[in-house]
This record gives sequence, structure tokens and C-alpha cells, in this order.
Amino acid sequence: MREAARAYGQAFREARTLLAYTLLVSLTLFILAPFAMIALRSVGRGWFGKRWLPPELTLEWYRWAVEVGNIPEVLKNTVIIGGLAVLISTAIGLTAGWAFGRCRLPGKELLMALLLLPLMIPPITYALGVARLFYALHLVDTHVGVALAHVAVCAPYAIMVLSASIEGLDERVLEAASVCGAGPGRRFLHVVLPLLLPGIVASAIFTFTHSYNEFTLTLLTYGPHTVTLPVRTYLAVGDGYWEITSAMAVLMVIPSLLILAVVQRRARPERLVGGFKGA
Amino acid sequence: MGLAGGSVAGRGPAAGGRVSGGGTRADARLGGLLLVPALVAFGALFCYPALLTVVLSFRPEGAESGWTLASYAAFLGDPDARRVILLTFGLALAATLASVLLSVPLALVLRRRLPGHRFFRTVVLVPLVVPGLIGALGLLIFWGPRGWFNLALTQAVPILTRPLNVDYTIPGLVLFYVWLYFPYTCVTTLAAVESLDPAIEEAAQVAGAGPWRCLRHVLLPLASPGILAGSVLTFMAAFGAFSVPLVAGGDHRPLAVEIYKQIVVPIPPHWSAASAIAVVMATVQVAFLAVYLRLGRRRGGSR
Amino acid sequence: MIELRGVTTRYGSVVANDRLDLVVRRGELLTLLGPSGCGKTTALRTMTGHVRPTEGRVIIDGCDVTAVPTHRRELGMVFQNFALFPHMTVADNVGFPLMIRGLARAERSQRVAETLRLVRLEAHGAKYPRQLSGGQQQRVGLARALIYRPKVLLLDEPLSNLDARLREEMRFEIREVITRLGITAVYVTHDQEEALALSDRIAIMHRGRLAQLGSPEEVYGRPASRFVAEFVGLSTFLEGRIERVEGGQMVVAVAGGRLAVPARPGAAAGQPALLLVRPNEIELLPADAPPGDGVLDAVVEAGTYLGDRMDYRLGLPGGLRLRLQAGVATRLRPGAAVRLRIPHGRALVLNPSDDAA
Repeated sequence: MREAARAYGQAFREARTLLAYTLLVSLTLFILAPFAMIALRSVGRGWFGKRWLPPELTLEWYRWAVEVGNIPEVLKNTVIIGGLAVLISTAIGLTAGWAFGRCRLPGKELLMALLLLPLMIPPITYALGVARLFYALHLVDTHVGVALAHVAVCAPYAIMVLSASIEGLDERVLEAASVCGAGPGRRFLHVVLPLLLPGIVASAIFTFTHSYNEFTLTLLTYGPHTVTLPVRTYLAVGDGYWEITSAMAVLMVIPSLLILAVVQRRARPERLVGGFKGA
Repeated sequence: MGLAGGSVAGRGPAAGGRVSGGGTRADARLGGLLLVPALVAFGALFCYPALLTVVLSFRPEGAESGWTLASYAAFLGDPDARRVILLTFGLALAATLASVLLSVPLALVLRRRLPGHRFFRTVVLVPLVVPGLIGALGLLIFWGPRGWFNLALTQAVPILTRPLNVDYTIPGLVLFYVWLYFPYTCVTTLAAVESLDPAIEEAAQVAGAGPWRCLRHVLLPLASPGILAGSVLTFMAAFGAFSVPLVAGGDHRPLAVEIYKQIVVPIPPHWSAASAIAVVMATVQVAFLAVYLRLGRRRGGSR
Repeated sequence: MIELRGVTTRYGSVVANDRLDLVVRRGELLTLLGPSGCGKTTALRTMTGHVRPTEGRVIIDGCDVTAVPTHRRELGMVFQNFALFPHMTVADNVGFPLMIRGLARAERSQRVAETLRLVRLEAHGAKYPRQLSGGQQQRVGLARALIYRPKVLLLDEPLSNLDARLREEMRFEIREVITRLGITAVYVTHDQEEALALSDRIAIMHRGRLAQLGSPEEVYGRPASRFVAEFVGLSTFLEGRIERVEGGQMVVAVAGGRLAVPARPGAAAGQPALLLVRPNEIELLPADAPPGDGVLDAVVEAGTYLGDRMDYRLGLPGGLRLRLQAGVATRLRPGAAVRLRIPHGRALVLNPSDDAA
């Protein structure tokens, strides 16, 4: 009788664990299956009708994307714009980060919240104004112009990451450098910058990824010379060729997944949420 | 441009300057100086455009000057427009509710730290880091007539001869929104339940409360601020969704897409109409943001 | 009343409880005492059901409850960090178990008022836990644990989070409430003074096993092993060799002298022996005191003036060191030779094979 009670308790517990795993596995399928389909669609030939897997595998869609879809040019644009956005955002992030991290300012929290506002409002609302402004300034369809539009959403991330890094600088290390005889300039070059390097790299990676993925603002400020990967992918959807679109989508999603892999190993990724709005 | 030059010049001497000591005034002055690049960028790339949008919304359509409320009247009075607003709210609300229903059990399961839980926690984060466009694309393919969902459905339920229509429908859109935005709720809910002192639950158990009653009387009440905060985030994200409904909405056009369509479809573009919608949308978002921040502050203070 | 039978709990390669056999009698307060890591908390949590033993059984009031989940065991528990429900008032906290059991609101409030009176918190029913002091919160915890008249009350280091002065006050209050209600209680602590003051019986645990089970007098006066002797009260150990055995006594030669102690079974000349003396029982004699049984030679190494006493560090031949306190009048200098007297019968024989590490 006792054994039966024990066995029942064990079975109940195991059933609950089974239920838990069912939920988790279903969730994983729910989330990851769309990506699997994109990936397969991008290498499948003749995949229509009722089949689970494409009957033939091919790289022709990628080749098509490169030759006809102009992907190298598109990638070039994306990288140039991303690079510019990173440069500008990092500069802004370092200066503002220093102000937030090391200077005594009144109303720091309010100021920070203000600077993060562009992340909290859907970009489409102020993208209109950006578009009008850029038309007037002839910035539409220029790399710099699109990069500047990106800065609106990239700089806040840079500020967040870098002000945290700068705040984390040990004051005493800097004092020690002064005592050893280093003036402000050399101290910055030889002590501050190397210490900040991990933070700068992290900020650059985040910023670049956000620029790489940026769609809404790009859509309103791009032109034939500044087609980025997200825009190109969107246009491909309009064309109706799912296979090509999938190939572009695969190219587009790589940095995001890399970031995810890196981040989840290091920090508690849950901290990313809170100042973050989807596109 | 001047912007880039100014910020680079500002980096060298100023950033290497006084760190310790010095009066508060000197510090604040340095701080103010260092904030200039950020403020200039903020002003030029966000504030001014936002202002421009507001001004545009009060201009008569196509005119360069003049003030009128015609765009707002047209927008708010038009029954089609009201449907758009209802659609946007409805989608966001439905997605938020569904997200909560999904996130709470999920958080409770993840909390148990079963083997492999780190992998599943990472899976939950995937929709957050992937651009919405890609998510929308994948969802369209997966839930489409030739996707795995319908394949499995038609094979499992033989009486269905035609695939189920999910893409471009409203329930489908809600499903897509949930895919994209439930992680906000899930992550904050998980944080909330994990921050609870385990001794409190143990005390409830010893006092006689079984798992269901522990949940109802202890866990959920104590985690509810976190759940609420997360659902506000999900709501805000769903309300402001653009790329997803643009690609997967079909004929259904929530506010963000409507704004875009006003620019892209009519020739010349309806800047005023679009701006009016944008202002309305931004106001709602700011209101919800205020709610979220209020919740956050209250959560921090009550313990 | 509550019993652990053959309980063994393993976490990977760590054995938290090792074949533990423990019977708590009805109406007694039994303390589980031991250093951190000895398995006392694991044993307590096995009783509540929060820990499932790898082997063994838990028996409450004659029923095997090993497979019964926590919320059906009818136990009461007081936690180290109080574990009050922060979102409920004091009255709701205390009434929670009754609410779970489906009692009507009227009866519930009456019982809550009664129980709050028991812990002297009747005026605080409408407050929230964060508005109360540590001691008050712990009393709420106690009330919540007692209101439904559990079979056994379990207390997991309930006073560790309180400051020292409060701890002594609360100690008496808890004991008083438990005695008044006549409830069986299991108390876990690492503070031996607490254990000696509160308990009817003490179970000393070491490395997952029971080192000794007995009344406070037994555990202090007749420790079963070196570990128990070291853990409860101050100890001085003298290692020696048996010189001869006659009558019921054996004479043990230690550094600096010899002592006669009751012979242990199987004693024979030449065997090693371990003697325990409580330092406060040792008398300090001048160097010219007559030698004899229980008198040891020693040399003063250092003396510290503490105002009302002198604190001496003494050295015995063979390298043993001793700390002793004596009256101010003694005023001995380093290097002075003294004699120590261990009154007859104050030295205990321990098993030298007991490991104390």
C-alpha cells in the first residue's frame, strides 16, 4: 500500500515533468519552425504541393539573389551605412556616456529617459518628419543620410552600453595613472581607452546589428543608391518569389543569431528588455 | 558633416579631463559639454522631425502654410479610420492577453530549471533579436497554405480537404503578434517569479496550501506587478507594429501601416493626413509609456 | 510523534543525511544541533517534505508520510527569514492556514485574534509585515504556524536573523508558548547555548550522522565523542597512556602528571586514552602545592590583565597549551611554574578513535 502510494506520487511527478517538456518543446517548434522553413525554402527547388521537405536542394536562389537581386551592392550599402551609424553612435555614446557615468548632473535619470525616447515610440511616427527634413536637406538616398536616420535609434543603445561601461571604470586606476605622471590626454589614450575597449566593442556590435536590421526609417529615407538588405528583402516579398526572399532573409538574420548566441552565454539576456521596442 | 566633426572633436580633451575632485559646478559644466553631441543628435534626428510631424498634421493637405484641424477631423470622423483604430487596439489587446496566457505557465515551467532550461530560455529571446520582417516572412511561410502547419493539419485531420487560412487573416495576425511580442511578457514574468523568496512558498505549503492554491494566493499576487509591466510592453510593441502588418496584414491595415500607405499610395502623398495619424498614434504610445514607468516606480518602492 | 527511520539523502556525491534514525517524543522540544553542513536543515526539510530522502521513511504520529506531499502533513514551520506573505496583513497571514482549510470568516477572525493574543501582537492585525520589527515578524510567523494546531512545530534557526539581545528574549517567549500549548517541537540551530537553554533533548549532528542524542546535561556532562565535547561547551583535551588498572579505576599518565578516572571496559595498561576537562573546572595552584592524583605541572607563558580577572596561557610538558582564568590576586609572571588540579571525577574518558576533524 505504501509502495503504491510512493509509485503513484512518482508517476504524478513524472507526468507533470512530461507536461512541462511538452510545453517547452511545442514552444520551441512554434518559435523556430518558421526559421527552418525559411532556410529550407532558400535552398529548395520544386517545393510546392504537399511535401515536408524540398525534393531537391539547390543554391540557385542565392546565385539569383547575387546576380539579379544585386545582393553584393545591397550588402555593400548595408555595411557602409552600418559603419557610419556605428561611428557616429559610438562618438555620441562615449561623450554622453562619460557625462552620465562620471559627471554629476542634475536630473540624470530624466535626461537618460529622454534620450531613450526614440526607442519607445514607433519609428514610423517620427520617420515622417525625418523624411520631410531629409528631402529638404537633400539627404534622401545618401549613405550619410540613411546612416543619420539610423543614428536616431542606434545612439540610444550606444549611450546605454557605454555609460554603463564608463560608470564601471575604477576611479582609483585613473588616479593611479595621474599620480604616475600621465596627463589627461595620455591617460585617456593609455588607460581609459583600453579599459573601455570591451564596452566599445559591445556597443559597436549592438549598434551595427540594429542598423543592419533597421527597416522603418530606412524605408522612408532610402533611394535607388542606398538599398539596404531589409528594404531589398521587403521588395522581394512584393515580387512574390518566396525562394529569393528566403535567401535574402537567411542573409539578413545571421548577425542577429550570432548576437543571441554570444549574449546568452555571457550576460543575463533578460536585461535587454525594458528599453526595447520591436520594429 | 558638422555633426560628426563636432562629436569627434569633443572626444579628445574633454573626455580625458577631470575625473575626481573639482567642484560640482565644474563637473556639471563638463557634463553639459559632453552631452552636446547627444543632444544635437537627439534634437535634429528626433525632436525636430517629431515637431515637423506635428506641424504638418495641422497644415491643410498639400499646402505650405496655414492651420487647420481638417486632417484630424477627417481621420477621427471617417468610419474607415475608426475601424483602423479599433483594429490596432484590438490586435494589440488580443495579442497581449494571449501573451499573458502563454507566458505565465511558461515562466512557471522555466522556473523549475529542468535540464535544458537554458536552451529554452534562449529560444524565448529569439523573436526579440530577429528583425520583425524576417519573423513575418517565416510565419507567413510556415502558416501558409503550403507550410508545415497546414501539412500537418491536413494529414492529421483527414476530413479537412482545404488548408486552413491563417495568413492575412486577423486571427493569423494576432498569432504573429504573439510570436513576436510575447517574450516581453515572458521575460518580465519569469524575472518576477524568480525574484520571489522561495521560503514564502514553502511557508504556504507547510500551512496546507497545495500547488494550485499556492499559485492563486501567493505566487500570482506577488508576481502580478511584473506580469503587468511585461504586458504593457507587449501591448506597446503590438500597438506600434509596422513591418509585420505591412508584410503579413493583407487587407488589414493597423495605424502604422495606414500612415505609410498615406505617403506611398496617393500622388501627391497625403503628408497631413499621415502626420495626423502619426500624432494620434504617438500620443497613445506616450500615454502607455507613462503607465509603464509608473508601474515600474511603484514596483521598486513597495518592497 | 515524528520519526526519521533510516533516512539517507544524497545530492550527487554529497551525503547530507546518512542512515539517520531519530524519534521525537510527543510533547518534547528536541533540538538538532550542529555546525553548518552537518545535515540538520536537510533532516528538518525531510520532515516537512521539501526534501525527498534517497532512502528511509518519515513517520508522523504512527503514519508513514514519506510519499505524502508537504501541504498534507499537518506540520507547522517557523522560518529563519520569517517568510511572511508581504502582500497580506498580519491578520491575513496568520489566518491563511484557516482560509485554506475552508473555515468561515467569523470563526477565522476569532481564532486569529486568539492566536495574536498568544504572541502578544493583538494590536497589529491590520499592519503589513514590512511595518513590523524583526522580532514582531517572527512572532507573526509563530502565530501562523500554530493557529491550526499542527501535530509538530518545526523551527528552522528562527532566531538567527535577530540581533543578540532580542534573541535571548525571543528564546524564552518561544519556549513559553510551546510549553503552554504542550506541542511537540523540533528546533534547528547551530548555537549551542540556545540548544542547551531550550531543549528537552538535543540531537547533535555531524556529517549527516547523529553524534549524540540526549538531555542537555548528558550532552554537556557526558559527551560521547571528541566532536560533541568540542562543539558543546569549551573543552581541553589531554592525551595520555594508561599506567595501570585497579578496582574500577584506571590511572592515566598525561604530560605533567597523572589522573585517576573510572576505567572503561577493556582497559589495559599501555593503551592510549583521551581525557576531556572543561577549562573552568581546572584549579590553579601555586608551584609548591602537594603533588598527587589530578595534579599537573605547568608553566605560565603569558598573562593578560582583564580588570576583574587574569587570563593565563599555560604550557604543559609535551607541548599542550591551556587557557585559564583566575583571580587578579594571582598575578603570575611568564615563566612562573604552577600546578593545576583537576578535581577528582571532573575528567572524562573519551574514545581516542573518535575523529573530530
